Amino acid sequence: MTAIAAERYTGASIKRSEDPRILTGAGRYVDDIKLPGMLHAAFVRSPMAHARVLSVDVSAARALPGVVAVLTGAELEAITVPGPDALMALVGWAGPTPEFTLLATDKVRLVGDPVAVVVAESRYLAEDGCELVEVEYDDLPPVVDAAFALDPGSPPLFANLGDNIARLHSRHEFGDVSATFARADRVTDLHIDVHRHQNVPMEGRGCVASYDPDSGVMTMHASTQSVHLTKIAVAMRLGMEQDKVRVLAGDIGGSFGLKIGASREELAVAAASRQIGRPVKWVEDRGENLTASGQAREESFDVRAAVSSDGDLLGLDVKMVVDTGSYPGTGAMVPDLMEAMLPGPYKLAAMGFESIGAITNKATYVAYRGPWASETFVRERVLDLIAKDLGLDPVEIRQRNVALRTDPPAVMITGRPLVGVTAKESLERVAQLVDFPAFRRRQAQARAQGRYLGIGVATFIEAAPGPRSPEGPSGPMGLESMRLRLTEDGIVVLFTGQMPHGQSHQTTLAQIAADEFGVPFEQVRVVVGDSAVVPFGLTGGSRSATMTGGVALHGARQLKAKVLDFAADLMEVSAQDLLITDGNVWVRGDPASAISVTEVAQRAASGPSGDGAAELEVEATYDGGEGGWSGGTHCAIVDVDAETGIVKVERYVAVEDCGALINPAVVEGQIRGGVAQGIGAVLLERSAYGEDGTFQSATFMDYLMPTACDVPRIEIEHLETVPLDADVNFRGVGEGGMIVAPPTVVNAIEDALSPFGVRIYEQHLPPARILELIAEADPGGERR
Amino acid sequence: MADITLRVNGATRTGSPEARKTLADFLRDDLNLTGTHLGCEHGVCGACTVIVDGRAVRSCLMLAVQAAGSEVTTVEGLAPDGEHGELGPLQQAMWDSHSFQCGFCTPGFVMQATAFLSDHPDAGEQQIREALSGNICRCTGYQSIIDGVLLAAQRNRTLRNRTPRNRETLSEERR
Amino acid sequence: MKLPEVEYEAPTTVAEAVDLLAEHGDEASVLAGGQSLIPLLALRLARPEVLIDINRVDELSGVSAADGHVTIGAMTREYVAEESGTVADTLPLLAAALPLIGHEAIRSRGTIGGSLAHADPAAELPAVARALDAEFVVRGPSGTRVIPAAQWFDGYLTTSRRPDELLVEVRFPAAGPGTGVSFEEVARRHGDFAIVGLAASLVLSGGVISDARLAFAGVSDVPVRATAAEDLLAGARPSAELFDEAARRATEDLDPPADLHGSSDYRKTVAAAVVRRGLRAAADNAARGSN
Repeated sequence: MTAIAAERYTGASIKRSEDPRILTGAGRYVDDIKLPGMLHAAFVRSPMAHARVLSVDVSAARALPGVVAVLTGAELEAITVPGPDALMALVGWAGPTPEFTLLATDKVRLVGDPVAVVVAESRYLAEDGCELVEVEYDDLPPVVDAAFALDPGSPPLFANLGDNIARLHSRHEFGDVSATFARADRVTDLHIDVHRHQNVPMEGRGCVASYDPDSGVMTMHASTQSVHLTKIAVAMRLGMEQDKVRVLAGDIGGSFGLKIGASREELAVAAASRQIGRPVKWVEDRGENLTASGQAREESFDVRAAVSSDGDLLGLDVKMVVDTGSYPGTGAMVPDLMEAMLPGPYKLAAMGFESIGAITNKATYVAYRGPWASETFVRERVLDLIAKDLGLDPVEIRQRNVALRTDPPAVMITGRPLVGVTAKESLERVAQLVDFPAFRRRQAQARAQGRYLGIGVATFIEAAPGPRSPEGPSGPMGLESMRLRLTEDGIVVLFTGQMPHGQSHQTTLAQIAADEFGVPFEQVRVVVGDSAVVPFGLTGGSRSATMTGGVALHGARQLKAKVLDFAADLMEVSAQDLLITDGNVWVRGDPASAISVTEVAQRAASGPSGDGAAELEVEATYDGGEGGWSGGTHCAIVDVDAETGIVKVERYVAVEDCGALINPAVVEGQIRGGVAQGIGAVLLERSAYGEDGTFQSATFMDYLMPTACDVPRIEIEHLETVPLDADVNFRGVGEGGMIVAPPTVVNAIEDALSPFGVRIYEQHLPPARILELIAEADPGGERR
Repeated sequence: MADITLRVNGATRTGSPEARKTLADFLRDDLNLTGTHLGCEHGVCGACTVIVDGRAVRSCLMLAVQAAGSEVTTVEGLAPDGEHGELGPLQQAMWDSHSFQCGFCTPGFVMQATAFLSDHPDAGEQQIREALSGNICRCTGYQSIIDGVLLAAQRNRTLRNRTPRNRETLSEERR
Repeated sequence: MKLPEVEYEAPTTVAEAVDLLAEHGDEASVLAGGQSLIPLLALRLARPEVLIDINRVDELSGVSAADGHVTIGAMTREYVAEESGTVADTLPLLAAALPLIGHEAIRSRGTIGGSLAHADPAAELPAVARALDAEFVVRGPSGTRVIPAAQWFDGYLTTSRRPDELLVEVRFPAAGPGTGVSFEEVARRHGDFAIVGLAASLVLSGGVISDARLAFAGVSDVPVRATAAEDLLAGARPSAELFDEAARRATEDLDPPADLHGSSDYRKTVAAAVVRRGLRAAADNAARGSN
C-alpha cells in the first residue's frame, strides 16, 4: 500500500538542519574535543621509502619536559593483538595477507611510515619530542612502481609474503571471448594509465581515545564513516570485547572513503591511551594526510577491443595492474568491482578480465569515491578512440552500443540486469541540451584563430545500490537497520548507523520520516554517531538514499502503525479510522477529534493505567526493495591553450538519473562535488613519487586542489526515472560525479587537440603534458 | 610567553601564549573558539580565515602575539546567539542556498566572503570566484557557495535601496 | 605542523631592530608579513634561533613620491600598495603585479619588503623590482647601503642583505609619459606562483619603443632581465614579428629549473608565449595611455 501522507518534504530542497551549527562555527569536529587530562600525540615518521630500522632511541624524547610517554612500534606490538587489516578480515579476504604492525618495527615501507608515537601536553611539545627521537635506518632499494614490484627480483616488502604481489593473478571470461575477437572486423590494442591521486578531505584523520581504567571502557571520539566499523577495528586490535569499546562521532569534515575502520595511527593512539590511562588526541596535519593517510586510483590497463566496422563494441579483454601501495587493503579488492562494472550500460558480447595487485613503497591504496571508477574511464576512452578510428561521432557510437531498456531487462555480460537504466535517454537529453552542431561551428572558427575548443561526453552507471539480486539484499553491505521511536516529547527519533560527512542525512532522512509518519519536519530528529546507541551502518557505496531512505520510510510506517494502535485504544476507535497529519492524530472525517502526537506520546509514557509506559518504538530493517541503478551522461566543453597547455572547463552539463530525489539541492551538491574532484584529477591532482621513492606532493603547494576558478557552473538535468519499487525509488548519487567526470573532461581535451592528431591514453593532463602530447603528435609543428 | 590583550568578537580577551603559537591555535585552544578550523597550517586552504583589524587574514600565518591590541572577528562573532539565534545575513543566504556539505571549510569561506562583500558589495560572479579562490572546499564544487554570496549581495542591495543606513551594518559586521 | 621553539623579539624602531640583528646575525630571521616565513617554520624547514618581528616598527610603512622616485617602506602591506593612488599613478607595473600575488588574505599581511627580501624567483615582486632597477635601502650597524636590484638578488631565496642588515625601504623610478606595462603570467591556478611570468614596461613615443624593460619570474633561481630582447625592442615599432623575435631572443639562453609543475623545456616554451603576450599587452597599454 502506498503512503497516504501528503508528501510535502520529500522531493523539496528543504533547508538543512545541520546548517545553523555549521554556519556559526558550532560544528563539533574531532579536533574541537577537549577532555580533562587530555594529551596530544604526534608520530615520528620515516623519511625513507624502504629501509630496515636498526634502532630507535627515544630516551631524549622521553626526557623532554611535557612529554608524558613515547611508544615504539615494538612496544605497541607488545600491548596489542597482531593481525591483518580489519576491513580485509571483515570481508573474508582470502588473498595474500601481509602481517604488519601498527607502527613500523623492523622495516619502514613508505615515506611517512610511523615509527614511534610521542604523547605530550600539547601538539607543539609532541612535535618537539618527535624531533628528539633518533632512528637508525639501513636503506633498501625502493619499489617505486608496479612493474618493479612484479619483478621477482624486487625486494619483498613483507617477509611473510616473499614477494610484492598483493593479489594473485586471476582471469575471468564472460561470453565467448576468443570467438568474439575472431569474428571482429578489427581488434584494437591499447594501454591506458590512471595516475595516483587521493581523497583529501578538508578535515584529515583524527581521534581522541579515552581509556577509563576503572570501567575498562575505551571511548573513541572518531572521524569516521561508521562508528561500528571503528569499534570493531579497535576492539580487534586492542584485544577488547566489543561492548567495552564505544565510538562517538560528531561532525565529520569529509572523508570520501578514507575514514573507514581505524587506521594504524588511530589504533596506536588508542593503545597509548590505554597504556597511559589518560585521553590522547591525535589529529593528522595536512602533511601527514597527503603523505601517509592513503592514496588511490593508480591503475594501468592493457586493453584489447573487438569492434565491428560499423562501430559495435563487441568485446573487451582487459589486463589490469593496481599499485596497492605499502600496506595492502582495499587496493587488492578493487579489481573485482572493476570487473563487474566494466561493461557499463552497453551491449557487449564478451569480456575477459585479469588483474594483479602490486605492493610498492607508497602510501596504502584506500577507497576513494567510486573506487572502481577507472572502469568507466577505460571504457569511455576506448569508445572515443574507436569512434575516431571509424569517423563516428562520440554520441553516435554510444547510442549505437548502449543497451535499450527492455522487459525483461538486458543483462550485463558480467551478470547484473540493467533494470531501469536510462542511459539512452541521458545521451538523447545531452544532445538536446548541448547544441553539438553549433559547437562544431564555433570550434572551427576558433581553430582558424589558433584557439582549441573541444567537447566530450561520457556515460556511466553506478550500483546505487544496484538491482535486486537473488543472493540477498541489494548492494554488498547487507540489510540496513534503523530504530525509530516516538519520545514522550512527541519527537520522532531515528537512530541510524549512517555517519554523514556531508551527505545531509539529518535533513533527508527527517524529510522522509516526517512525510511518512505525518509530523512536521521539525518534529523529527536523526541520531547518529554513537556505537552504543545506533544500529550497525556505514555511509559509503552510494547506498544510503535507497537503503537508509527505505528503512526510514518503512520504519516510519511501522512506527506509525504502532502509534495508531495505541491511539486507537486511547481514542476508542479503530486504528483504521485514524490519520496522522501535521503532527496530529485524528479520526478520518472528524477534525475536531484531533489530539497532538505529542499528547499521545505523553500518554504512552505515563502508561494508560499508570502501570508502565507503552514503548512506541520499532526496529526496522530494509533489504533495498527493487534497488536500482543510478547513472547518466555528462558533457564538457574545454578551451585548451596550445601555447601553454592550460585547460579551462568552459561548460559542464550533467544529465543524470538517480531515481526519485529526496532533496534536489543535496543531490546536486553531491554531483557537483564529485565533478569537481574529477576535474581536479585530470588537471591538477597527483600524488607524486620520485624515482628514489621520495614523496613530492606533501603540501598544498604541490598537491593542487581545484578552486572556485577551476570549476565552472555545472548544469544538472534530472531525468524522469523509471520507478521500480512501490515505495522506495530513491537511489544513490554520491559517487557518480567523480566516476564519470574524468573521462568526460579527457574526451573533451582529446577533441580539442584532434587537429594535431593527439590521442590520449592517460588521465592526468597538466599543462606540461598537454604540450608534450601536441609535440609528440605533431613534431614538426606543421599543424599548429 | 607574553601576556596579550585583544578584542575578539567585541569582547576583551587575554592570554599568555608562547611566541610560536599561531593565532589560529590561540583562538581554538586558549579562547575555546573552535569555529576557526585548521585545514593545512601552511596558508593555502583558507579554512582558518578570520578578520583582524578589518582585513581577512589566514590565522595560521599569524602569531597570537602579533594580534595583541587588535580587533579580531571569528565566525562565532557573526551571529551573537550562535546556532539557536538569528544568523547574520550572509550566513542566512548561505543556508538558503545550501552552500555547504561537511562544513569544515565553512568558517573560512564565511569570513573571507564577509570581508570581501564589505569592500565589494556589488561584485559579480567572476569577481566573487576570484576572491574566494584562496579557500578550498572539497565537497561542493563551489557553485552553491558562490550562489550564497550572490544572494547575500542581492539582498543587501535590496535593503540598501530601501534604507541608506544599512551599509553601516554590513561594515560593522567585519569588525 | 606546529612551529618549533624560537625566541621572539618585537622591536618598535629600526635602530632597535638593527641592534637585534647585530646581536643575533644569521641565527635570526626577520618576521615581516609572515606569509612565506611562517609556513617554513610550520613545516620546520626554517630553524632560526630568534624571530625579529618588525610589524611594530611603524616607521617602516609608507608610500611617498618625490623627484621622479617612489619610495615604499619595507613593511608596507601589499594590500595598502594595491589601494594606493600614488602607486597606481606612478608605478603602473607594480600596480599590475600586485593583484596577482596570492589571494586577498595573503596581501592583507604580506609586505612589499618581505616579499623582496624573501626573493622567491617565481614571485611577482622580484621580477617587477628587477625590471625597474629598483634600489634596496638597507640599514646595518655601520649605516645605510643602497643596493641596486641587479645585485640584490643573489641566488635562490638569497639576497645580498647581510645578516646584520634590515631592509628599510625600496625605491622605484616613477613611470614616465608614454609608459605601457603588463604583468603576464602563466600559473596552474588563479593566485598561484607563476610557472613563468614576465614584468614588462615599454615607453612608446611617436609609435617607437624606447626603454623596454623585461624581467622574468620563474625561469631561474633569481628574476632575470631579458636584455637581448630589450636591445632588440629599443628603437623598433611594435609588431607581431618583432614580438616573436623578442620572444626567441629572450628565451634562447634560458635554462629554467624543472619541478613538479613543468620540465625545463616546458618553462622555456611557456616563457616565449608569455613574452609575446606580455609585449602585446604592454604595447596596447602604452598606446591607450598616449591617446
